[in-house]
Amino acid sequence: MNAKSNPGSADWFTAQQAMWAPWLGIGAPSTDEKRPAHARSALEEQFDELRDTWLGSAAKWSEFVRDAAQNELGDPAKLREVFAPASWARFGSDLLDGELRRFLEGPRYALLWDLDRKMLELQQLTLRRDQDVAAYQAVLQKAWNLAYERFARVVGTGPDGVRSRTWRSMVDQWLTAANDTLTEVYRTEEFLEAQRRALRSASDRHLKEREIAETWSEAAHLPTRSEVDELQREVVELRRELRLLRRAAQPAPSGRAVAPARRKPATKRSRA
Amino acid sequence: MPSSRKTVAAQAVEEWNDLNLNLARGQRLLRRLKDEEVQIATADKEVVFREDKTTLYRYKPTAKRTIGVPVLVAYGQIGRYTMTDLQEDRSLLRNLLALGVDVYAVDWGSPGRGDRWLTFEDYVEVYLADCVDYICREHGTSAINLLGICEGGIFALCYAALYPERVQNLILTITPVDFHQDQAEGRPNHGFINLWTRSLGDDDIERLIEASGNLRGELMSHVFSQMTPGATMSKYNVGLLDTFDDEKKLLNFLRMEKWLADRPHHPGEAAKQLLINLYKNNELVKGEFRLGGRNVDLGAITAPVLNVYAKDDHIIPPKTTQALKDVVGTKDYTEIGLDGGHVGVFVSGKSQGVLGKGIVDWLRRRDRR
Repeated sequence: MNAKSNPGSADWFTAQQAMWAPWLGIGAPSTDEKRPAHARSALEEQFDELRDTWLGSAAKWSEFVRDAAQNELGDPAKLREVFAPASWARFGSDLLDGELRRFLEGPRYALLWDLDRKMLELQQLTLRRDQDVAAYQAVLQKAWNLAYERFARVVGTGPDGVRSRTWRSMVDQWLTAANDTLTEVYRTEEFLEAQRRALRSASDRHLKEREIAETWSEAAHLPTRSEVDELQREVVELRRELRLLRRAAQPAPSGRAVAPARRKPATKRSRA
Repeated sequence: MPSSRKTVAAQAVEEWNDLNLNLARGQRLLRRLKDEEVQIATADKEVVFREDKTTLYRYKPTAKRTIGVPVLVAYGQIGRYTMTDLQEDRSLLRNLLALGVDVYAVDWGSPGRGDRWLTFEDYVEVYLADCVDYICREHGTSAINLLGICEGGIFALCYAALYPERVQNLILTITPVDFHQDQAEGRPNHGFINLWTRSLGDDDIERLIEASGNLRGELMSHVFSQMTPGATMSKYNVGLLDTFDDEKKLLNFLRMEKWLADRPHHPGEAAKQLLINLYKNNELVKGEFRLGGRNVDLGAITAPVLNVYAKDDHIIPPKTTQALKDVVGTKDYTEIGLDGGHVGVFVSGKSQGVLGKGIVDWLRRRDRR
């Protein structure tokens, strides 16, 4: 079967040619140019529309991919970071953390995915804690390296320059070098800050974990940690009031001028 | 042949032999020792008063009484009071008893999560105050001798400032007063807790307490281990090895371990006051520390004060405690600086004849029967 023997297929071929020729930039002048616009078939018009839509979509995707590549993996520094062994030491990569962050910073829905969001927040806090602990350990590792360096300089030589020969004197030299170095490093701002961050992110993670556990406790009709804390707080305050009342009912012991004052804990209670 | 004249090979063999012999001795000792043989705080005593988890003990006399007014010993919350009676021959309490003092000691117990909301007010104005009231009632007196140790010294200072009429003589040992004088002597291994606390934000501390309920004993043990890294590293190897040649030394070591392992959690709200109001904001020496709506004015302390510090105390550096001299109200102020470190003042062999005797001599001159 050829186009001449089937007028319908001739139309189809013409339409195909009309669509592809401008894309490919080849071929004879379109039949559109020979025919007035009103003479184009409905099928041709549909194909034209479809073509324009595809072209528009392709342009949008190209732009999107270009932006994504520039902002993420296209940056050589980012690629280096991904493949640097130092970043493997961390338990989660910045990319994963970034994805979690992007999801968590997205719109919130009143009734949807609340627990999922909390789980993702916990995952994010776990990543942060692991990163902070790794950073803390890196500071410690530097301190140990420095201690080894110092020990290596003095090893085997006593304070009087005489070479020491016993294992114990070597151990004592090592302990002195390590003690002096660690004592020094533990007091640096870098160490204290790394330790502070690790402690803080561990606390934050712990509190988020509690929040999730409390969600389950509530669903299972069990008292939550926060509720028990609150109950204990009330018991402590009631005991204080009871003591005040008892003391008010008894004569004050000589010398004890003032009844014990009540004090509410200064800090707010907070759930993560 | 003397060791120094031996060949290197002979020395190495001898050393190897000594090490193995010592290890074998240690193994034999450790196999034979049972936990019940490692006892601390065994001085004879009876419970005379209880309130919540607080227990007041009165110790059985071991000598004729020479001091008329009883002494109440208050330890802090960072460790247990048992350190004051670690073993028979290393015990402040036994030394005081042997010198004729009527001794009471307060034990705050082991705070749990339920004690999270306890504050300094509870410890000073309720538990300590009720112990003092009990002793006064029992002895028909209006005031006692109060002896505070470390954080217990802060409790004692606060109590003496708020209730000066109830304290006849105030004895403080290794007690911090100016928390920002930790680096005053420029000694590199001093004042780590002060630096660590100042590195934390208030919100870091609040989140920590919120997460754990209390200031956990394990965390404080970790911080303490960072103060003396060499000692921490060597404790369970060469440190332990050095005790294997003498059972008495090994038992001393194990008793200290027992005390260290019994580090209580610090009640959360009181811990916030300790870390934020005292360590960070240094409110005590400034007269800004508030308990129960009242300022703790150290100038209101009119009883004679004996302030004992350790010259090589890396936890409470001497200047942090000596600052009391300039702010306390009494004119009868005495300082005794003892050789040794924070805990060594109480448990070292050398200090045994010094600390107790120093306190009792000072008290005798001020005793009112």
